Amino acid sequence: MSVRTHDAPPPVRSTPPTRPRRPRPGDGAPHGGRERRSAGGLPYLLLLPALAATAVLLGWPLVMNGLLSFQNLNMTQLIQHVTEWAGTDNYRDTLGSEDFWRVTLRSVLFTAVNVALIMLFGTLTGLLLARLGPRMRLLLCAGLVLAWAMPVIAATTVYQWLFAQRFGVVNWVLDAVGFHSMAGFNWTGGQMSTFFVISLLIVWTSVPFVAINLYAATTTIPKELYEAASLDGASAAQSFATVTLPFLRPFLLVTTFLEVIWIFKAFPHIFAVNEGGPDRLTETLPVYAFVEGVGNQHYGMGAAISVLTILILLALMSYYLRIAMRQEEDEK
Amino acid sequence: MKGPLTRRGGRPGSRPGSRARTWARVWPNATALVLFAGFVFPVYWMFSTAFKPDSDIVTDSPVWFPSRPTLEHFATAVQAENFWTLVRNSVTVTLVAVGLALLIALFAAFALARMRFAGRRSIVLVFMVAQMAPWEVMVIAIYMTVRDADMLNSLVPLTLFYTVMVLPLTILTLRGYVAAVPKELEESAMVDGCGRTQAFRRVIFPLLAPGVMATSLFGFITAWNEFPMVLILNKDAQAQTLPLWLSGFQTAFGDDWGATMAAASLFALPILLLFLYLQRKAVSGLTAGAVKG
Amino acid sequence: MRRGLIAATGIAALMAGVAACGTGGEAESGADGFKGQTLTLWAMDGSTPEQWEKDVKAAFEKKTGAKLKLEVQQWNGIQQKITTALSEPDPPDVIEVGNTQTPAYAKTGGLADLGDLKKDIGTDWTESVNKSAVYGGKQYAAPWYTVNRTVIYNKRIWRDAGIDKTPRTRAEFFDALDAVEKKTDAEPLYLPGQNWYFFDGLLIGKDAGLIKKQGGKWVSNLADPKVGSAMKLYEKYASYSDAPKDKDEATPQQAEVFAKGKTGAFIGLGWEAATAVEANPEIKKDIGYFTIPGESADKPEGVFLGGSNLAVAAGSEKQELAKEFLKIALSDKFEGALAEEGGVIPNKHSLQKKVEGNPAAEAAAPAVAGGGLTPLIPQWAAVENPPNPVKSYMTAVLKGKSHAAAAESVEDEINKRLSQKQ
Repeated sequence: MSVRTHDAPPPVRSTPPTRPRRPRPGDGAPHGGRERRSAGGLPYLLLLPALAATAVLLGWPLVMNGLLSFQNLNMTQLIQHVTEWAGTDNYRDTLGSEDFWRVTLRSVLFTAVNVALIMLFGTLTGLLLARLGPRMRLLLCAGLVLAWAMPVIAATTVYQWLFAQRFGVVNWVLDAVGFHSMAGFNWTGGQMSTFFVISLLIVWTSVPFVAINLYAATTTIPKELYEAASLDGASAAQSFATVTLPFLRPFLLVTTFLEVIWIFKAFPHIFAVNEGGPDRLTETLPVYAFVEGVGNQHYGMGAAISVLTILILLALMSYYLRIAMRQEEDEK
Repeated sequence: MKGPLTRRGGRPGSRPGSRARTWARVWPNATALVLFAGFVFPVYWMFSTAFKPDSDIVTDSPVWFPSRPTLEHFATAVQAENFWTLVRNSVTVTLVAVGLALLIALFAAFALARMRFAGRRSIVLVFMVAQMAPWEVMVIAIYMTVRDADMLNSLVPLTLFYTVMVLPLTILTLRGYVAAVPKELEESAMVDGCGRTQAFRRVIFPLLAPGVMATSLFGFITAWNEFPMVLILNKDAQAQTLPLWLSGFQTAFGDDWGATMAAASLFALPILLLFLYLQRKAVSGLTAGAVKG
Repeated sequence: MRRGLIAATGIAALMAGVAACGTGGEAESGADGFKGQTLTLWAMDGSTPEQWEKDVKAAFEKKTGAKLKLEVQQWNGIQQKITTALSEPDPPDVIEVGNTQTPAYAKTGGLADLGDLKKDIGTDWTESVNKSAVYGGKQYAAPWYTVNRTVIYNKRIWRDAGIDKTPRTRAEFFDALDAVEKKTDAEPLYLPGQNWYFFDGLLIGKDAGLIKKQGGKWVSNLADPKVGSAMKLYEKYASYSDAPKDKDEATPQQAEVFAKGKTGAFIGLGWEAATAVEANPEIKKDIGYFTIPGESADKPEGVFLGGSNLAVAAGSEKQELAKEFLKIALSDKFEGALAEEGGVIPNKHSLQKKVEGNPAAEAAAPAVAGGGLTPLIPQWAAVENPPNPVKSYMTAVLKGKSHAAAAESVEDEINKRLSQKQ
């Protein structure tokens, strides 16, 4: 059995865990039994550019960021190019502040809610795509691709216009269908209504990715599995549970984790809609780090918050990384 | 929910019972139409607002269709100082970053998918973690590095950072596509006398092309959108990119939705066209990647 | 290391070519040895009227042979931009800095000492205006201009409402706003919830401040009942407006809202009228100004004396050229021209008469005597960083929170920013 959970979803590669693979003409040998030629130094040479670029352009800023987090770095120090070590002050201040923990909790909840919504709607939409006739499927696909392709800065602008207090079409529609108190409603005035707009925006831009890829994955489910299931007298719901779901599970797992990463570090969506307002009530960790660091010109503090943000994300992802690593092992 | 929710299960005529059949045919299509409208409306509203005269934008009841189209908002949007410089910068930075990332990633993906060597797992882990990097919160560290290297107000560091920003996902995705190319094809090509490089160029690369295109979409959208880094690195208007123009425009013309939507439309258009153009290939690429499990 | 990498990628040459485009240009002949140089000036949006800019550029080029590159900046995010710019090897040479923010920059050492210039051309700068440019006894900037807000109103709408003269007292002003409300379909006043400059003016009218010194430390003063009564007044004004309670006067630009001709009045700076005219030339003939009226006819409302200084970046390699520019821009000729065209208060009393005939400036002038500022301390600038807690306080009150509760909710934030490590 070789279930392969790929870390990036587009090439959805999964085989049904419970049934033998259907042989396919032209299909390669299964991964597990692949024979590799001895490569010598070649793989390292091929990986060198990627590793070097990552080390220099990502690794170094990360180290630098770590160093900054132990410094007292404000306007004066930045302008004068002086380094003032502050020990663990920044971390102590951050970890001791109620705000930080409130924002952390908010980030986690925000991520959980949005990822759940995205996965739910994405999966349902993907399954719907699989049910549609070819013409309808093409239409819905085109719609999904349009939303998917909207650059986020343009999308936030459009959402601000849709939800504008004056002349925004959303308020007009709500008023027209009977919610008269919504005429002239200020969506960015409250915490929950701002989060609603941000979440809608995020779900709207993220669902297409899940839906289209999930649809692609369903096309690889061998028809025979369903035939066998119906011969066994399985109902529709049963064959969904025994065939479709197990087949899609690895895909769903990978996508969920990818979405967790993307939503947790979502920055432009939140910042462009209302800069973390009102009253800093929609700040998530990346926005908080930005506002405290760059906005308040408390750069060392911002660096400390960003280091903590990275650590929290790593902790959230450790489960995923473990699974992914185990799968790498299986392949050998 | 009824039916095994798959393409096959929903095929008309696959089950008896006319009422149930009609219902089974109607609801997916009806739902699809509603979803289509929901996904397309914001994009439609952006373009339609951009084409409407002010009097049709600032109204108490919305004008759903731009029946009196005007280009004045686009004229306002394009009038911005340096607009064409910004367009050129954005296009240059995005194309070079994506091209570079694909090139570097292709090498890496080939090694990771096809070869066995010590440290392979750790390297995969490095790219997985790299993909999680929250770039926005590191802007000050990046700024200080670039400043001290005296490379501010240049497109070079910007391009390189965008390359690395999209690199991990590009590698991990391409690895799947490379692995999906049947190894036998490569081997038989080599038996036929092709060298390894030639085998790659003649046999593997053509098979990879859809995957490469699908992957490039991520890169395009990331690099085209990037905002916090260019804001802090490049203060010189000559070295800025379109996201800055769009957000600055929004600040300055906050209440002029026609002009703002025209600007957003212009900004979104290249990516929308690229997606629509690549969509068929991308989706078939996705499917191909999926089929070769 | 980095350079090696770039060379290896092989795109460096191409990119450098792109980046280099647009700089340079042929030098003109000039008197001094600055030929071929370009001086970069960062001025805020609205500070440099068109004709003034043209004339100053010409005079500067004629005298020095160097070019002047004006880069107009937006207030939003300006502090972060100036801080990073001052740290760079090639900063803008001359920077307009808001008067409340000048002490903070002076303290960082990022601004050049202009003591010589002060001796040279600044002996008659207005003392009170120059205060914000001095820190620790040293001159870190040159005062450029000050401005205060007036009521800018739409004469046509007011005529339609049957109002024939401009109000002299606050009560009369409210009567006028009531009339506009009843008799026209225009919005009587456009006042977003976060115009904290106007709010600070009301505070100054009540003889109170946003912060106070307590036990040698600066802390929030929002809990002061006087602040509450100023906010009551603001609430009353805001009740005439449909403007968003959680936005300031720049989002959207209130002048652009006014330009649509459906707003009776707004509280703004003289140059904002120009913005309105630019958006809608039709509106020009309808624009009128008057002093924000106070409790009684003899004493106008308190105002925030906003203003700007011109500073030279310490890291600029063109110190002499920058000073040459300041000598030109701040000369009686151009300082006077700025007052005349821009309707701002010049940096010396002797030029005050230049604003005569500029209706915006004439309306602003009577309030100057009762104007004030935030404390000129380096710690203040941090309070203005977004999200500005004073603005949060205002929005909270306008949304129904009590003054005391709203003041308490932002107090910690203000105190934290005031005591922030420098």
